[in-house]
Amino acid sequence: MRRIFLVVALAVSFCLSGVIAHSAEKMILYTSMKESLIGAIYKAFHEKHPDITVDYQSAGAGKLMAKIATERQAGKILADVLWTSEVPDFINMKEEGLLQVYKPKNFDELINPFKDYDGSFTAARLGTLGIVYNTALAKKAPAEWDDILQPPFKGAFGVANPALSGTAYMSISLLVKQFGWEFIAKMAANKAKIGKGSGQVVDDTSSGELLGCIGVDYITIDKIQKGAKLGFVYPKEILVVPSPVAIIKGTDHLKAAQAFVDFLLSQQAQEIVASEGTLPVRSDVKLHPALKVASPEEAVKRSIPIDYNALKTEKQTTIKKFTDMLQGK
Amino acid sequence: MSFSLKKGETFGTAQIILFLSIAILVIVVAVPVLLIFANAFWDNNGNFNLHDVMNVLREPDTYQALLNSVIIASGTTIGSTTIGTFFAWLVTRTDLPCKKFMKAMFLVPFMLPSFIGALAWKMLLSPRAGYINRFFMDIFNLDEPFFNIYSYLGIVLVEIMYLFPFVFIQVCGALERMDPTLEESARISGAGLGTITRKITIPLVLPSILSGALLIMLYSMAHFGTVAVLGIENGIYNIPTLIYERIHQSAGSFESIRTGTVLASVLVVSAAFIIWMQNKILSKGHFQIIAGKSFRPMELKLRGLRIPLLVACCTYIAITIVLPTAVIFLVGALPTYGMPFTWENLSLENYKFILFDNQLTKDAIFNSVSLGLSAALITMFTGVMISYVIVKMKVRGKGVLEFLGMLPFSVPGSVIALGVILAWSGKFGINIYNTVWIILLAYIARYMAFSLKANSAALEQVHDSLVEAARACGATMWQALKDIVLPLVRPGMLAAFFLIFLPSLRELTVSIMLYAPTTRTIGVAIYTLNEDGETVVSAALAGVALVLIITGQSIINRFIARTTKG
Repeated sequence: MRRIFLVVALAVSFCLSGVIAHSAEKMILYTSMKESLIGAIYKAFHEKHPDITVDYQSAGAGKLMAKIATERQAGKILADVLWTSEVPDFINMKEEGLLQVYKPKNFDELINPFKDYDGSFTAARLGTLGIVYNTALAKKAPAEWDDILQPPFKGAFGVANPALSGTAYMSISLLVKQFGWEFIAKMAANKAKIGKGSGQVVDDTSSGELLGCIGVDYITIDKIQKGAKLGFVYPKEILVVPSPVAIIKGTDHLKAAQAFVDFLLSQQAQEIVASEGTLPVRSDVKLHPALKVASPEEAVKRSIPIDYNALKTEKQTTIKKFTDMLQGK
Repeated sequence: MSFSLKKGETFGTAQIILFLSIAILVIVVAVPVLLIFANAFWDNNGNFNLHDVMNVLREPDTYQALLNSVIIASGTTIGSTTIGTFFAWLVTRTDLPCKKFMKAMFLVPFMLPSFIGALAWKMLLSPRAGYINRFFMDIFNLDEPFFNIYSYLGIVLVEIMYLFPFVFIQVCGALERMDPTLEESARISGAGLGTITRKITIPLVLPSILSGALLIMLYSMAHFGTVAVLGIENGIYNIPTLIYERIHQSAGSFESIRTGTVLASVLVVSAAFIIWMQNKILSKGHFQIIAGKSFRPMELKLRGLRIPLLVACCTYIAITIVLPTAVIFLVGALPTYGMPFTWENLSLENYKFILFDNQLTKDAIFNSVSLGLSAALITMFTGVMISYVIVKMKVRGKGVLEFLGMLPFSVPGSVIALGVILAWSGKFGINIYNTVWIILLAYIARYMAFSLKANSAALEQVHDSLVEAARACGATMWQALKDIVLPLVRPGMLAAFFLIFLPSLRELTVSIMLYAPTTRTIGVAIYTLNEDGETVVSAALAGVALVLIITGQSIINRFIARTTKG
């Protein structure tokens, strides 16, 4: 019996030590970027700075913020660098004094979408949303936002659930800002549907469950490259969602964190960003051929301007109103 | 047990074990549950506040979620009970061909996680793109889908498919153990088949049917996966999915946890009521149906119905087991969802990707396996200790332990998850939220019930005289435990281990509330990949999970067959 106990004790400690072995001392990046993008950047960064090891944790922005909140409660934020697409989170953190001000050394070469930029966080990518449609089933490609309100898309147009996806919330709030709640009422009249995550509506469009949806650029382009029968168009008004990167105040690895941010904004890293099908923040980088826009600057110019404070304060009410309207309550 | 020989020492060991057992149950189970009630009924200022509770319950969303939980659970219970009882009767009391094989097949759904089933049925029956729907729409040129799985009926049907074995197992057992002389004597006395069924068979198996039904009710009310996959699309939420969405929306902040705790309290109370009903039914139906002698029960001749019923059973198995499993593996082999199943499109790329290249899925598999092993081992050992106190020891304060031991049976997974968040995110100076430890704690709390059940059953069979004999020969309490009791209950401990290890491999309800970036479990990875629109990758991972579970189960079956023979 004693031997069994010993074996059991060893097995338990082995299993658990394996699980926590991840938390060795390293520069830690929390990011909501896709595994393929962050993996490629990680690899390039490691070749350039072999002395710095980066440990990244990727999850939805909500999960990461929840983790940061509990880490704060416990006394120390483990992350050194944060890179997600939820600008309101960054504004909150800046107001609470959690972000280290750092103006990247190549800042002048960058496209900056933030008006009151102070170095707390810097856009490292410009995510865009357009209309995705199933090329096998749609008779005519949509061109403008009004097209999704028309009979061809009746009962078959999807939007990701704004309660689950920050990008979806942002796109809805921008559409409301530009076209008013009448636009949402018309969507409801055309029986638009609320899906789950931002990727799932695109997959449902590819399978034919939906004929079209509001889709994120790189998710759609990835599926098109794998053979999905999808089209991706930008209406006149583009939804542009910047993904900021920031250094957490009080980090023990400030030099490493700064090197990482500088690298992320360099031409080399931005080329990786562009090759994944998103807009880079530099104009000296070639865009992905599937993105039908001349340059990042043009996209920013055509974008619906974002009022981040309103975005923050109106979140609950907007989501509720939108969900109730679309579910016909 | 005599206290007179070495009173001091016995008292010491006994008290230590009792104290430890109570401490473990209090820390792991009672504190989280109490905190849920405290958080639900007392507001931030520490005042008892029933008004807020009523407000939360009156809110249309929460009220609807409560109602949905009841509707779905009732439908599932009625359907599963009917199907489970009918199939159980078919394989035990009729001359259906290949009964043994059929019985084994009807137990397969037990292994399949219902949320993977739900994913498969979504692929088969989603209104426009579902393969079955498209098939019928193409053939008959329909505009409307053949069946919309995103509905109450769809959710209930999927849950029935994967939950009916709860009733099936119980009723099979009762019918097999039932003393056939009871029925025979009725027959000899001139009663017809209808009378025998009505007056003898049904009353005798009713307790088993009801206890299986209540088990399903309990499970379905607090079930996350199926409703999350099939309901949210059409705005159908039940209690666990609503709790999940609220917490997700507020990014884990504690604003929305109040709603969650109120709903969780409702779940605990209804679960306690169900358990109470079950105990009442079981104690009332205390017929001596286990007759030591094994007679062959009389079999109903199906005659002309033999073959049609066999075909019906096979069709049922093909539709509920083979079809969903096949679609999971096939979709997992596609480059992207929505492409047709042609040979050029199918490949093992996704399987290779999740097993070797993708950190997220590799982490998930590693986490689930190590969490499952750790939870099973820890729960197995603490379970045997606690059961020992409950079953064998005659010490004061045992009543508390009996009550605490009942608690894990009546606390649903989503409640445990919420409770451990409240308890272990810094309130008592320990903050393990977002680490793997909190999931481990939650698993231990959730699966303690299984371990207590298996170990108590094993301990009941160890007669007190054995320990007394050892003690009389001069063995210490500890020696008697180690050399007599533990070896005798080892089969019970092993059963507990496997009863915990396999379900925790596919666990979703608890871990979806507790996971952090590096602590995803297999269930969480499948669910979130699907939510993120990586349908093919999530299907491939579901396929891998199925292979893991089925391999595990067959190893166990072989193992159990060997130990029971030897």
